[in-house]
Amino acid sequence: MKRYIYIFLSFVVLLSSCINEPPTQPDTYKGNFESLWKIIDEEYCYLDYKNINWDSIHTAYKTQVDTVTDQYRFFDMMAGMLGELKDGHVNLYSNFDKSRYWKWFTDYPANFNSSLVFSERYLGDDYRIAGGFRYKKIANDSIGYMYYGDFSNQFSDTNISLIMKSFSGCKGLIIDVRDNGGGYLDLSEQLASYFFTEEKITGYMSYKTGVGHSDFSKPIEVKTPAHKTVKWQRPVVVLTNRMSYSATNSFVCRMKQAPKATIVGDKTGGGGGLPLSSELPNGWLVRFSAEPMFDADMNQTEWGIDPDVKVDMNATDEKNGYDTIIEKAITILKE
Amino acid sequence: MFKKKPIITNRSQSESFCYFCVCKFMIEFIRMKKNIILILVLLTAVFVSAQNNTEEKYLLTTKVTTFGLSVPSITDPYLSPLVYSGVGLCYNTDNRRYFKPDNTNYSMQSKFSLSTGMLLNPALSSEMLYFGANYGWGANYHFRLKNKLRILAGGLWDVDFGFKNVPRNVNNPVNLDMATNLNLTGLLMYDLNMRRNTLHFQVAMQTPILGYMFVPPGGASYYDMFELGNTANAFHFSSLHNKLGLNQTYSVDVPFKQSIWRFGLHFQSLKYKANDLVFMHNETSLIVGTTFDAISFGGKKRKAPLNFISTND
Repeated sequence: MKRYIYIFLSFVVLLSSCINEPPTQPDTYKGNFESLWKIIDEEYCYLDYKNINWDSIHTAYKTQVDTVTDQYRFFDMMAGMLGELKDGHVNLYSNFDKSRYWKWFTDYPANFNSSLVFSERYLGDDYRIAGGFRYKKIANDSIGYMYYGDFSNQFSDTNISLIMKSFSGCKGLIIDVRDNGGGYLDLSEQLASYFFTEEKITGYMSYKTGVGHSDFSKPIEVKTPAHKTVKWQRPVVVLTNRMSYSATNSFVCRMKQAPKATIVGDKTGGGGGLPLSSELPNGWLVRFSAEPMFDADMNQTEWGIDPDVKVDMNATDEKNGYDTIIEKAITILKE
Repeated sequence: MFKKKPIITNRSQSESFCYFCVCKFMIEFIRMKKNIILILVLLTAVFVSAQNNTEEKYLLTTKVTTFGLSVPSITDPYLSPLVYSGVGLCYNTDNRRYFKPDNTNYSMQSKFSLSTGMLLNPALSSEMLYFGANYGWGANYHFRLKNKLRILAGGLWDVDFGFKNVPRNVNNPVNLDMATNLNLTGLLMYDLNMRRNTLHFQVAMQTPILGYMFVPPGGASYYDMFELGNTANAFHFSSLHNKLGLNQTYSVDVPFKQSIWRFGLHFQSLKYKANDLVFMHNETSLIVGTTFDAISFGGKKRKAPLNFISTND
């Protein structure tokens, strides 16, 4: 009996060696630096796509670690390293600051002026609000206009159904998602579903399966279903600018495949990588793109989606109280 | 010619006297010993009743309910590579009874536990809310080594669910534990007679052997898995090669006036690996509860005897 017990215990000890915990870094400047570098090296999804030599970045920034004297400078140094990724989905969170990369929209024309949108010509003061949408009939009540500024604002089928009902006499619909920085992906799917007549593959996603920069799963189909009861079957124009980012980018990617939809405005800001988070030994949080999203033709969407009709805001129009992009959309819908 | 047998119509005097004496003795005896006979009849009834009780056995269920204060530490690399630790509460119920009244070698066991905890990372910059539930059913064989020492050995199938929430994680704030396991169980019981009471000491062990578990791939989001239906690499066969755990409970049952209280320590140690992620859950709990034997009646087959009174009656 004892013999069998010894054999069993040896077996268990042997097997326990199969579950080795990964080595952890100490909570020092160097340890935190190495930890952050490794997280990005193994889990960030665009190193190859963006042609970033992450090893050379390690070399360049490692020398700075020894010169850091306080946590604020250390944070700035780490934020600078993350800035090399040029990704709006990459952030470093500490108790005193949040790093960010904003050049994906600050380097481009704004193409959005909220005071114009809320002027009497468009929404004015007497617009309605439902489920995060601000909406009103414009252009002599011939066009329905909805502004949606945040994909974190929940809405229901009933909201949309009643909004569409109020636009029942309109020739077309404008959905303005300019300056919409994103939110929930399932809301982008829900909003797009009202404009599809049948389920369609509108993109793909994949995720990292290993620590190599190109270790990805097979692309997973992203489908946009046609909503069963709520449908808009007349033309629709989606207005975009560079601040149409993340979940909004995903919405635009879906709407590119909608049968009667036209994308008008500027290229979207991108943000095609679905982000995940991790932590450093000192408790700082790092957020990074982990799952690349592709359009229906397997093109990356990280750098944005081109509109069908490229329109920039005209300074003269703006002075005269016209939103060039909305005016273009009205023209398209009236044709 | 046929002769009729003469019919005796009158007994002789001596015969009549004898008959009279016996009858008189009987009547006197009955009169005088009425109390003795009554006692004998009663004793016979009690004896018969006692015989019936020993023949008809009832299965008692040993029920244990405990509450505990725990100190958990959790490593969930899907949420964070750091070890989160904190305090928690736990609740456990354990029911055990023999399968059949006439076989005291095999018993069945069912367990249910709930636990919850609030944990922090080492830098105290992020918190994790944990909730866990577990249900298990198993069977044991009873080895009686000595009069007061018993060992129970067997297996237990359980279903495990856990919910971990790190609110600071923007896009992956939640991870779920879902697993089913076949466990080896062992129980050592010893009764120690004191002056007035008998203390019941117990050591319980449980370790998972085989199972199936949900572990998300490190780079995949719940949007992938539950919205797009991509569950590839999310469900894994588990055995000793990728899942090791040991649950230990050391307890003593102390009788008080009309109840038996259980005091104990519970140690949980669990480590498993899938998708190159190593998860750990260690927990130490101080438990207090009660234990009692109960019999339940209900349904069509197990109706309560008439001398049992229910509030439903």
